[in-house]
Amino acid sequence: MKRYAIFLGCTIPARQPNYEVSARKTLEKLGVELVDLDNFTCCCPPPIQSINLESAQAVAAYNLCLAEEAGLDIVALCNGCFESLAMANAALKKDKKLKAHINETLAKVGKEFKGTIEVKHFLQVLMDEIGLEKIREKVVKPLSSLKVAPFYGCHSLRPSKLLQLDDPERPTIFENLLDALGAESVEYRDKLKCCGGLLKGISDETALSLARDKLVKTSKAGADCISTLCPFCFVALDIGQLQVKAKFKEVYDMPILHFSELLALALGVDPEELALRSHKVKADKVIEKIA
Amino acid sequence: MEQPKVGVFLSDCGKQLSEVLDFAALTSFVKTVPNVTLIVRGSEFWRGKGLQSIIDAVKDKKVNRVVVAESLTKISDVNIAQAVENAGLNSYLVEMIDLKDHCAWPHQKTPKEATEKAKAMLLAAIERAKLLEPIEKIEFPALKSALIIGGGIAGMQTAVDLADLGFDVNLIEKAPFLGGLSARVGRFFPTDDCAICIQPPSSDVKTITHTSRKCVYRSGFSEIPNLNILTNSKVVAVEGVPGNYKVTIEKKPRYVDADKCVACDKCVSVCPVETLDGYNANLSKRKAIYINVPTVHPQVYVIDEDACKFHDCAKCVEVCPTDAIDLDQKTEQATLNVGSIVVATGFKEFDSSNIKEYHYDNYPDIITNLELARMIDGFGPTGGAIIRPSNGKPAKKIVFIQCAGSRDRRYNPYCSGICCMISLKNASLIKEANPDAEVSICYIDIRTTGREHEYYYERAREMGIKFVKGRPTEVYADEEKGKLIVDVEDALLKRFLDLEADLVVLAAAMVPAEGTAELAEILGVDLEADGFFKEYNAKLRPTETKQKGIFLCGGATFPKDAPTASLHAHSAAMKATKFLTRGKIVKDQRTAVINEDYCGDCEFCPVTCPYGAISLVPTTEDHFVARVNDLLCEGCGVCVGTCPLNAIELRHSRPNQMEAQINALMSVNGTSKPLVLAICCQECGHTAVDSSGMAKMQYPANVRVMKVPCAGIVRVNQILEAFKAGAQGVMIVGCKTDGCHYEDGSDKAEKKMDFAKVLMKEYGIEPERLETFNMVYIEGNQFAEAAQMMTERVTKLGPLTLMGDS
Amino acid sequence: MPHHTGKAANMAFSEEVTSRHGGETLTSCYQCGTCASSCPVARLDSSFNPREIIKLSLLGEKEEVVSGDAIWQCCSCFNCQERCPQNVEIADLIYALRNIALEAGHSPNIYSDFASALIDEGRIVKISKFVESKRGEYGLPPLKPVGIEDLNKILAATGFTKPEKTEATK
Repeated sequence: MKRYAIFLGCTIPARQPNYEVSARKTLEKLGVELVDLDNFTCCCPPPIQSINLESAQAVAAYNLCLAEEAGLDIVALCNGCFESLAMANAALKKDKKLKAHINETLAKVGKEFKGTIEVKHFLQVLMDEIGLEKIREKVVKPLSSLKVAPFYGCHSLRPSKLLQLDDPERPTIFENLLDALGAESVEYRDKLKCCGGLLKGISDETALSLARDKLVKTSKAGADCISTLCPFCFVALDIGQLQVKAKFKEVYDMPILHFSELLALALGVDPEELALRSHKVKADKVIEKIA
Repeated sequence: MEQPKVGVFLSDCGKQLSEVLDFAALTSFVKTVPNVTLIVRGSEFWRGKGLQSIIDAVKDKKVNRVVVAESLTKISDVNIAQAVENAGLNSYLVEMIDLKDHCAWPHQKTPKEATEKAKAMLLAAIERAKLLEPIEKIEFPALKSALIIGGGIAGMQTAVDLADLGFDVNLIEKAPFLGGLSARVGRFFPTDDCAICIQPPSSDVKTITHTSRKCVYRSGFSEIPNLNILTNSKVVAVEGVPGNYKVTIEKKPRYVDADKCVACDKCVSVCPVETLDGYNANLSKRKAIYINVPTVHPQVYVIDEDACKFHDCAKCVEVCPTDAIDLDQKTEQATLNVGSIVVATGFKEFDSSNIKEYHYDNYPDIITNLELARMIDGFGPTGGAIIRPSNGKPAKKIVFIQCAGSRDRRYNPYCSGICCMISLKNASLIKEANPDAEVSICYIDIRTTGREHEYYYERAREMGIKFVKGRPTEVYADEEKGKLIVDVEDALLKRFLDLEADLVVLAAAMVPAEGTAELAEILGVDLEADGFFKEYNAKLRPTETKQKGIFLCGGATFPKDAPTASLHAHSAAMKATKFLTRGKIVKDQRTAVINEDYCGDCEFCPVTCPYGAISLVPTTEDHFVARVNDLLCEGCGVCVGTCPLNAIELRHSRPNQMEAQINALMSVNGTSKPLVLAICCQECGHTAVDSSGMAKMQYPANVRVMKVPCAGIVRVNQILEAFKAGAQGVMIVGCKTDGCHYEDGSDKAEKKMDFAKVLMKEYGIEPERLETFNMVYIEGNQFAEAAQMMTERVTKLGPLTLMGDS
Repeated sequence: MPHHTGKAANMAFSEEVTSRHGGETLTSCYQCGTCASSCPVARLDSSFNPREIIKLSLLGEKEEVVSGDAIWQCCSCFNCQERCPQNVEIADLIYALRNIALEAGHSPNIYSDFASALIDEGRIVKISKFVESKRGEYGLPPLKPVGIEDLNKILAATGFTKPEKTEATK
């Protein structure tokens, strides 16, 4: 049984127990053991990088060292954590000067980055450890009548040179996984465009316009729900839907579900166990369609 | 061999040098050197009475070695060498030194030390002269024939030039028809005339009038005597040497007999197979048997063997009135023997499907400039109509996107140079034929640099073509509107535009033609980092390669327009004939020679030689030794510096000759302390010394200069010998590593000296006593500063005590 | 936009940016505008245009760039960086400009909250005891301790300073 260090980040334990619950349950069902390590800190995503990029990189490297010491690859659930850690990992492995520089700082806390582990996104663990065919076999409740609009978010794919998860212009990993669950992926315009999540609290008007754009286009394409990979995207589209309703007087009734949640449902996990209370836009109609 | 009798000819340059150097002391000193049989003082020796005195001395057999101290030796030595040769003495038995720029002028302020140095320089010249040997001319036969690879505009121009001059020319083209890109683009800028009008009339073919040019199909091109045209063929192997290449070619079967085909088109009318016509950008279909357009050359049909059903059909065979079709033709191999080879393989468009955000591979209405050119061409798939490939309807809104894959570090970082002009030309032709069409060009910069090019830009604006300064981020389809949308920011307005288009034209980057890398391998020539063939020297020798008999022309070295390609073609033709006209290649045997008894078959030297002049040959005992090909050897000496067994010597720069110079330069010090030896390459290093002296830059006279062909010749043991001889410091002065006249000799020298420093440490010699410098002629100040710096450095280090010194 | 006359381009600022983490590729830009049309924010908010920000930085307009609101409007989606034909690391560049702006005392107040949370709890958003207590309900294991000491040592060693809140709430 392959073991991974699970990196929760901050937003998921603070606000999205639904993501964590579904991720843990599905990985367990699929035979991946998750280890919770001591001392993980915030991954230092863009808001921290905006304050001090070097600090952010050093803290990310610190977290990588913890996993290196435990001899475990990391699985990240949140796009932000994935980007922050995978970027630091790739940059330090590639650039010797940068590595030496960061290690000077890490020495002050008795750590040294060696570049011995990989950082993987939840989707990558599913592909690498289990594979599409095995997932397909384990599905007990196929999502056959469900039209899902897959939303990668930004940081699962970009910057592609460092993250290397999939083709940044024409990714297929999400669609392939949805297909393995029996769901139909819906193509829609601007599917790789940002949800505006990081602008909340800074430029709420822009953030809301971007969220609305997603809702408009996925509805137009006939999607039953949007599937996300990132807690920021989730919040932007879920709570965001209510804000859109308040501001633009438009109702979309578009449930937002993380891929891990769809996976959990397809693998037969009881919806009651999935902390679906976290959803502001109720996912009831999706659950009915699956049952 | 007879005893050396050295004549020393001392010029004081119109008494200029006597103000610094004590010529009486110099003369007395030279008198004491053994084997000096004649000393002549004068004002100048490279012409007039002075030159005559040398000639007389040689003719009267008073001397058999000549040492001349003359100014500007790099120019004056030509006269003297010629005169000496005419007088009956091999010109390689002459040794020149420059007492003005290398001694009197840079050491004006220290005349005593300058005179000491002058004595050392004279001694070094005399000792070296005694060890010189005559170097003869060697001849290699050169066949009076050439092969031109590539039958486009450049290859065809070169072919006519060479054929006109009387050589046997073979022109090989891998496609079934000649013309290359010229045959497909319709019109050329800046003349706006037909792109197939690329043939200047050959002087041997009787044409009706003397015109400046003709279309290929009526130019009498194939009637040129001594021009052998091979289409549907390619080069598979090349062996031999310049002047004598043996080229293996492969002829793909046409399945149609060229001697019988009358181009009646009956075969086409009965052929049941239809396939997409790649020549016409898949905008139309053609049959399995075909010609591209009626004006092809040669006028012989060809069968597409991937589409044809052969004997399962054979309808064409039945109808052919001359029995020209032979479905059993096979691939043939043939050999050509030629004296020189000209590469004219051109370029092609970059595959724009790589730029995923432009969706070239997703939408048929997104095309490239070449595909658009096929549409504009009246002989093309749409008869000249500009249509949307998706539905055949007229295209009213056309948007060009420049730099598609050019100036892009993700794909091709260079500017392809001709795409702005191509787009301006095409856009104007569209507007001319359809004044109501809305044509826009999205650009980063508009580059119209050649003669009359700016006019195209003016005319385009006046015709109402719109210009948007901005590089689009994406092209996508709006299904509802049935249009393509070009998402671009007009940077000048700071406004976002969603340009609607029926047709989007990508000005795709230009990249090397298919098969370039393989051909470079076959020919043994280099490619640049961008994949195009590498010019030997971009400034002076753009149509040559480091292989003496292989030349380049046209778009094969970099994308070019038609006028530039023509110019290039004529240049290549001229270069290719230089040794062909005489039927032989003549050169001095100033080449490397390997002592086969010492050779250890380590295989370093063949790899190290920049010219591929060394190969391994089996000796009778089933053992390999390295052997130098005198024709290919350029006399740099890098192999000499590489051989770990000291088995190689370079004629005219032999180790004993170098040793004699070093020892002589390091003797005679008197008040000149500490002695520094500066080994300078003849191309850049030594010329930097020249220029420092010419500008009278001052540096210490204890720095003594020795000339070598290339810094790469210097061996590590010679460095140690120099210290033993009395040098307190050693400078190696070579070309800049990216500008070495012998490819990478300078770089190799630097790396070797890093290793020398390690050895020096073992021997207790401070590694700082050795230093490499890279400079060019105009950096004479750098030499003076380096000489000063080294002197100060070794003075500070104190006198060198070697192991074994008491 | 303010009209500047008679000032030569100030090289010092573009050098300051290129010497910073994330700012190394500033001078590769040839102002093609691909980043602007790739940007989801620029279309909605005319005060934010990545090409313009780079141009201002190249010309040395430090004051305008670091004290303005514009650089805070980037949503860090990295579309510009992905599409740039000169491999300019535009999103990273924005971080570098923000770092400089913060040092000069300019930033939206929310960043102060992020920094506080990080320094106090090692997280970007605080996890309340209530939320933590709910974990058992969902069958989630208890949270592991955060390496807060090490984190703060690293922050101190890399010169991390908490931005102060300003009067004008941005």
